[in-house]
Amino acid sequence: MSSQLASIYRDLKRAFEARPSDLKKCGQLLAKLKVGLIEAGLLVPQPGANLDDLVVARDILEIGAFASIRAKDIPSFDRYFSQLQTFYNDYGSSLPPSPNEYPIRGLNLIRLLTQNRIADFHTTLESLPLRADSISSNPYISHPVNLERWLMEGSYSKVWNAREEAPKEEYRFFVDSLMGTIRNEIASCEEAAYASLPLKDAATLLFFTTQSELLKFAQERKWQVNLVAGTITFTKKGEERAEIPKEKLISSSLAYARELEMIV
Amino acid sequence: MTDVEMKQDDKAEDKKSQEEKEKATPPPPPPSPTAEIKSNIALIERAVATIEPRYTLRVLRTLTALRKKLDDKVLQDAIEDVYPKDSAVKKALLSWLPEASAVDHSMDVDAAPTQSTPITSDPVPECEIYLRLLLIHHLLTSQSTYPKALELAQETVAKMQVLNRRSMDPLAARVWYAVERTYELAGELADARPLFLAAQRTASLRHDDETQASLINRLLRSYLHYSLYDQADKLVSKTTFPASASNAQYARYHYFIGRIKMVQLNYSAAHANLQQAIRRAPPPKVAPGFYQAVHKLFVVVELLMGDIPDRALFRHPVLEKALEGYFEIVKAVRTGSLSQFQTTLSKHAALFEADKTYTLIVRLRQNVIKTGIRRLSLSYSRISLRDICVKLHLDSEEDAEYIVGKAIRDGVIEGRIVHEKGWMECGGQKSGYGPEVAEVFQRRIGYCLELHNQSVKAMRYPLNAHRKELAAAEGAREREKELAKEIQEGGDLDDDEPLGDGF
Repeated sequence: MSSQLASIYRDLKRAFEARPSDLKKCGQLLAKLKVGLIEAGLLVPQPGANLDDLVVARDILEIGAFASIRAKDIPSFDRYFSQLQTFYNDYGSSLPPSPNEYPIRGLNLIRLLTQNRIADFHTTLESLPLRADSISSNPYISHPVNLERWLMEGSYSKVWNAREEAPKEEYRFFVDSLMGTIRNEIASCEEAAYASLPLKDAATLLFFTTQSELLKFAQERKWQVNLVAGTITFTKKGEERAEIPKEKLISSSLAYARELEMIV
Repeated sequence: MTDVEMKQDDKAEDKKSQEEKEKATPPPPPPSPTAEIKSNIALIERAVATIEPRYTLRVLRTLTALRKKLDDKVLQDAIEDVYPKDSAVKKALLSWLPEASAVDHSMDVDAAPTQSTPITSDPVPECEIYLRLLLIHHLLTSQSTYPKALELAQETVAKMQVLNRRSMDPLAARVWYAVERTYELAGELADARPLFLAAQRTASLRHDDETQASLINRLLRSYLHYSLYDQADKLVSKTTFPASASNAQYARYHYFIGRIKMVQLNYSAAHANLQQAIRRAPPPKVAPGFYQAVHKLFVVVELLMGDIPDRALFRHPVLEKALEGYFEIVKAVRTGSLSQFQTTLSKHAALFEADKTYTLIVRLRQNVIKTGIRRLSLSYSRISLRDICVKLHLDSEEDAEYIVGKAIRDGVIEGRIVHEKGWMECGGQKSGYGPEVAEVFQRRIGYCLELHNQSVKAMRYPLNAHRKELAAAEGAREREKELAKEIQEGGDLDDDEPLGDGF
């Protein structure tokens, strides 16, 4: 690794560790470093590379991943994460373990959760190099795992309460979008489960602190709000759908005819 | 060329059988392993000569049983007998066996006269590969010879690639299995992956269906062993599993796909695949391990889909013991008791961990809750959220409200929550008729049709069997022609006669 690269790396570390970190400078330095890494053949590690250099390359990518989350740039985080996978999976046995590995893996899990990619979430979880019973003892991983479980069960209040218990600062950046997902989930449940709901209770159920927020949300979801009585009425969607699914029937009948023809 | 060889062999065999007939006063009921190998070699030769893979398959079917009877001496004798005295192949093959057993040869005096007819030429290369396959399996029986087995496996693979003979395909598929086993026992399964990938490409270029099927399964297994579900999924989507693959390969393939789909939460697809795997698997007594592994997944996937597996499954002699832990989980899910579920889960955690089903079973928690709510909604027309909370061991009333709300939205129960009074009112059950009924019927009909089509596909049509029929048809046509001729000719002479005779 050239000395120039090393000096930029030190600059990057300084910029990242400053409080609050200088995201703009980080971005510029990262761009330079990535070019440097490619020239040194370290971005996608080649066999026979110096292990110390690889550790530095991994550090740079990890800082990149954290910085892009702080800058709320999810696609960029995605890219850093897939580059890091080589270091974590294929070089996991030869490199010393990184203290940032599980935080980043956990962040990736939360990201999948907020994007409602549950299938990917489980695939990623399954391929973690962890024993299944040690998941609960790893705070970075158990946090998203618990969130997912509560979301699937419908224990939304637990999710709401857990939002402050993030194991690392970066996890909070996902809280907002996660709350958006939860509110929409709750709203769709309410539409199905209640005939009407007092405004005050609706606000607590949806975790709104002020009425104006609730009213704005109600408007988005096209709820009927009766301000005088102080209630929200949910219109039942598709109460009676006695319609005959014509196309489905036709296509299945055709399929039967074809199969019969094949048999006879 | 082959014809000549064949004749020689026939002669040799004839002589042998004559001699045997002369000698055969005490007929040995089970043939000795050496004799079995020799007869297998003869079968392989016939398979190659007649281009009929059926014979090779017959040989391979005995492989599992034969594998257990192998030892140094059996293999040595077999190789000595099959190859002519100064064959290079023979020396190469024998070099893999320890020398020590050569001393035993003196005891074999009465076996020696049988091979008095000298074999002049090497048998077909398929036989060599077969013997190599047996050698690998033999070397794998003891830990000290693993490195040797690995070396032999690599050499065999290289040899197969160079020979490139289609009549070798079924054997090659088995060799690949042995190669995987070698790498796995040597603890280097991941290192074998590039080799498999390259071979898979070659096999698909050569339309070598047997090998391709075997290799796809090898790769999937290797990916799943390291929990690389993403890569496995990509491999499945990028390859087409050859339709002519054998049942055993299909069963494995379906099992792997079922596993992948299950992790991806695509339970109905996983269910369908596992069902296929069960149907295609060899009988439970023959391959109990596979049968148990598939059923473990099958039980979990049924539970995840909200179904309760059949009670009879857990009484099956092969499954009863293996599925014990799963049976307790099923009981917990069925009663909808969260506490029972948790205790069972922690009690059998090690078992589930070993089966790699732990994370899947953890997902069942929400199903347990749903079942619980469903039971409550069926038995009460109105129940307070407080009671739901107590009965289902939920943490707070607030949770209960959200959970019930979600259950209503997901269509688990019919009903609504009255927030002001703090209770849940359960609506009446849906009438049994509607579009859902048609859907259920459609699913069943689809299943039956699929079964029919699969069984039609599974039928075997022996090569050239239609020739006989064709010949018969040809003969009939000939006769008809003659008849027509006669009628024509006869018609001129005499009008009444031919009709009576001809028909």
